[in-house]
Amino acid sequence: MVPMEYYLLLSAAVFSIGVFGVLTRRSALMFLMSVELMLNAAGVNLVAFSWFYGNLTGQAFTLFVMALAAAEVAVGLGIILTLYRNFDDIDVTNATTMRW
Amino acid sequence: MVGALEFTPAIPLLPLASFFVALLVGYFAPRLLPKGGAIPGIVATAGSLVMSVLAFFAVSQGDYYAETLYTWVVGQGTFSLHFGVLVDPLSAMMLVIVSLVAFLVHVFSLGYMNDEGETGLPRYYAGLGLFTFSMLSFVVADNLLMAFMFFELVGLCSFLLIGFHFREPGPPSAAKKAFLVTRFGDYFFLIGVVAVFATFGTARFVATGEGAESFPHLAEQTLAAVGGEGAVPEQVAGFLDVVGMSARDWFSVVGLLILGGVIGKSAQFPLHTWLPDAMEGPTPVSALIHAATMVAAGVYLVARMYGFYAMLPTVLAIIALVGGFTALFAATMGVVKDELKQVLAYSTISQYGYMMLGLGTGGYIAATFHLMTHAFFKALLFLGAGSVIIAMHHNENMWDMGGLKEKMPVTYYTFLSGSLALAGIVPFAGFWSKDEILYEALIYGAGESPILLAAYAMGLLAVFFTGFYTFRMVFLTFHGDSRTETAENPHGVGWNVKFPLVVLGILAATVGLVNMTPVAKLTGAHIEFLKDWLVGTEGTAFSALGYEHYHHLLVDFAGYGAADIGPLVPAAISLALALGGAGLAWVLYNVDEPTEHTEKLGGAKTVLYNNYYQDEYQVWLANGVTRPLARAADTFDQGVIDGVVNAVSSVSLFSGSRIKRVQDGVVTHYAAMLTLGLVALLVVFGVAGGWF
Repeated sequence: MVPMEYYLLLSAAVFSIGVFGVLTRRSALMFLMSVELMLNAAGVNLVAFSWFYGNLTGQAFTLFVMALAAAEVAVGLGIILTLYRNFDDIDVTNATTMRW
Repeated sequence: MVGALEFTPAIPLLPLASFFVALLVGYFAPRLLPKGGAIPGIVATAGSLVMSVLAFFAVSQGDYYAETLYTWVVGQGTFSLHFGVLVDPLSAMMLVIVSLVAFLVHVFSLGYMNDEGETGLPRYYAGLGLFTFSMLSFVVADNLLMAFMFFELVGLCSFLLIGFHFREPGPPSAAKKAFLVTRFGDYFFLIGVVAVFATFGTARFVATGEGAESFPHLAEQTLAAVGGEGAVPEQVAGFLDVVGMSARDWFSVVGLLILGGVIGKSAQFPLHTWLPDAMEGPTPVSALIHAATMVAAGVYLVARMYGFYAMLPTVLAIIALVGGFTALFAATMGVVKDELKQVLAYSTISQYGYMMLGLGTGGYIAATFHLMTHAFFKALLFLGAGSVIIAMHHNENMWDMGGLKEKMPVTYYTFLSGSLALAGIVPFAGFWSKDEILYEALIYGAGESPILLAAYAMGLLAVFFTGFYTFRMVFLTFHGDSRTETAENPHGVGWNVKFPLVVLGILAATVGLVNMTPVAKLTGAHIEFLKDWLVGTEGTAFSALGYEHYHHLLVDFAGYGAADIGPLVPAAISLALALGGAGLAWVLYNVDEPTEHTEKLGGAKTVLYNNYYQDEYQVWLANGVTRPLARAADTFDQGVIDGVVNAVSSVSLFSGSRIKRVQDGVVTHYAAMLTLGLVALLVVFGVAGGWF
């Protein structure tokens, strides 16, 4: 029986890695992966609490989150493709035309 | 005869129909419009005339009519605004006058406009139709707001018709002047209307129907309560608390505000300057609007709400003094004018001064009588002048005329009838009415209100000038030798000019016989028909609109009392003065080769010729006072008000221009800000929620 705190620590760690990735990487692909990490950290949290309270709603919800993540990846890759076509690169710091 | 009055709303609506016909058919299918719109106009005004006469007979059977036609704003727990029709002896009389003069002017226009080959006739006849509609609606209005609306409409029509020849420089300028000067007075009238609504909660002239109240009656109740009888009506008491003035003072203020509109429209001093310029309009328009009907609107309004004015001695005295002064003032200017229509314009101002004098001195019947006689003889004089102008190929200078008597006898004799009426020579119409006004002014002035004697003196003096300028005009135009080629061979005029002249000429000679007060007083014969007509009924809501009631108000509230003076001596004095003026004109101007004697007046002539520099003075008022004031206000507006607003907005603009740099387009920075924001929020929640 793994105690609840371990799940939460795992989830927090994964989420922090995701945030770190978003803040420090310049490649759009790394961005996408980091976002996936954060989403899944939230998923871990949901499942852990669902188990802890003996309520299956959280787990069902996580299934939806996963489906959503798949959709997000599809859209995200599309965006990255367009980014590449327009800027010949996938470095997000180059794409600064939508500014004041 | 009950049925006749049910059709009253159609009296004004017929000319409205002719307006639409002239306008729409004239625009879309001018070929289909006979005589440029004259025929629909003549038919419509003839219809109005017939129905007005029927209404007149119905009223003479004692059958009055007051009906709310359409409530266009329904008040929730407060007053409503409505259109309504009120036919009582006063409005029935006015309906006949207006529709008769309008009808004759339409016929005359055939000769003056159509036969002279004017263009733009549909526009002209549309203007006449709209004017007739507005004036008739004004006459039958049963509340002050409706009266105000049509008061404004007649002003608009006057603007449109004065500026009919809009391609020449003079008429548009005169039209603008007329509109602006009368609007200046109407502005006060508008405030007065609002004040009446606020004070009384109603603007009806007469209380008919369930729970209806009229404002003169409420004012009477209030003033009676101040005198110790009965209670002040709730609404009035509440509003007087707000105003913080005594009932009498506040009512006087309201009365004076409404009087502002009257002074503008009836061309009283100091707002008379527009009327002489308005002579730029076509002559039939001058006859219809600037002599017989529209200018009468102001005087008619005072007569219409006389139940209100009769209780306010201060306002009455002001009306009398303004009237008396205007009568004299305008008459002196008429003495030196060279153009036929200008003389008539100043005589119009002067005659309306007499009516105001009559109303102010308690001579309600006399003033109404003069309103009627003046409408006929002044329309006659203007149409006669129009006939002369046709004959003279549109030259209006009297010094170019002369000797037209033999060449156009119909015009001459009708014009003479009108002139005798204007000068006030017995037994023509003007004598009876003007003399009665002066007589009333004298007896009330000598009785209890000595200030009216000053107004009387001015009115009396003006009689002399009236006699003089009237006959100077007649002699210069028609007598002596012809002074120019045109006057040798004048252009002939047709039946459509002569017919209106003859009708009005007969009326000008005879209409004074309906109220021969001096004769009635001397012989004891019962011949004061107009007085009987206006005296009012007993025991109905309409009794508040009769002379009987007004007289009671004048005596009880305004403190008017009549001195016992016989009618013969005052009548003889005014007749002698009129004959004196006419006689002087005879001596000076009824010669073969008249010369300009006005030169002998020296400096006075220059002053008179320049209208006492009233125009210059008003232009100075506009340029020297109003302009700098407006400029100062503009500076204040631009500098202070706009300055504050701009300062406030510049703060936003400046901070915006700095803060917008946050949006630099780098996604990573946005993500960092999101994260930082979330962390900050967590810290705040943590501190506030006591997690640490």
